[in-house]
Amino acid sequence: MRNEPTETCTPVEISDDDIYEAMREMSGYLDITPGDFKEVYVRAFQHAVRRLTRAMRVSTIMTTDVTSVTRETPIRVVAELMAERKISGVPVVDEDEHVVGVISNRDFLAALGGYRSGTLMKIVADCLKGSGCLAVEVRDQRAEDLMTSPPVTAAPDTPIVDVANIMAQRGINRIPIVYPNGKLVGIVSRADIVNSSLIG
Amino acid sequence: MRMDYFSKMKGASKSPPPVSGWEIFLSWLGSFLGIGAIALMNLEINGTSDTTFVVGSFGASAVLVYGATKSPLSQPRNLIGGHILSAIIGVAAFKICQGEVWLAAPLAASTAIAVMHATKTLHPPGGATALIAVLGSDKIHALGFLYALFPVGVGVLVLLVVALIFNNLWRTRCYPEYWL
Repeated sequence: MRNEPTETCTPVEISDDDIYEAMREMSGYLDITPGDFKEVYVRAFQHAVRRLTRAMRVSTIMTTDVTSVTRETPIRVVAELMAERKISGVPVVDEDEHVVGVISNRDFLAALGGYRSGTLMKIVADCLKGSGCLAVEVRDQRAEDLMTSPPVTAAPDTPIVDVANIMAQRGINRIPIVYPNGKLVGIVSRADIVNSSLIG
Repeated sequence: MRMDYFSKMKGASKSPPPVSGWEIFLSWLGSFLGIGAIALMNLEINGTSDTTFVVGSFGASAVLVYGATKSPLSQPRNLIGGHILSAIIGVAAFKICQGEVWLAAPLAASTAIAVMHATKTLHPPGGATALIAVLGSDKIHALGFLYALFPVGVGVLVLLVVALIFNNLWRTRCYPEYWL
């Protein structure tokens, strides 16, 4: 997120007259101008928004029923699993449930297209040119051959805004949520953040 | 010169609302009692002819502690700390400059402001207290650093005690906002 939400958020519009009237209602002399008070109010409002926004932790919106695969899972099985569950990425875990990488649609595209920025249309174009289905060449690979590693992860108590910032900066669509010991506990996607009341 | 430099001089906000007649009366009565207590104390010590111990800056403090009780400038920390620190600085400036009043006067006032800021004791009458240490009578000069304790220290203590007793008698007032 390039703009902090608190910077773009306009507080309830309070007029100089509102402040003047409020000051009049309070007995005794207040040695502050309505203009200074307004500045205090606007800044305090931004702090409140920031505090409330940061109070929303990623653990409240993450999916805990995570589909994961192991290093040794054949990519055919990974693809079937992602198709079946209609998900665009899965974490790869070791025998202790520690997240060691992530496989997403993009990793498949890169593998099939032969380079990292592989796009679906590049693959379609190559197929149509008659060079055969590229997928056949990588048929025997395993999850660890395709996965992006090391994975970008976050702790359950990370503020949602921070997770959103990480996604934007790293250009990724999902982040596995792990306990401090590295064990997988959930996953959060861009859609989860969009659906959360944070940005609604 | 950028134009917004001059537009700053127009002022962007407006004057705070006036206070009620009742508030004005309370400010009048409180300051009368506060300054009155100091004047009586001076009368006991010096008699009617000499008002050395009624320091001019006490009048300025009365504006704050009886007329603007909510202001941070009016709180006990500022009232006591601001006066005593400024008094010490004023006496020191007079001694250091050895009678060069043209230098001692600005040095006393400006250093008092800086020190009050740094110690979170900003109290406008403190600037006057520092200046009076330089410009005051021979009797003030003769006191030396004692000036900070008497008349200044004792005087502001009287103002504080009267402010505590008086301001809290009324439903619309409470004092202080904080001590430290």
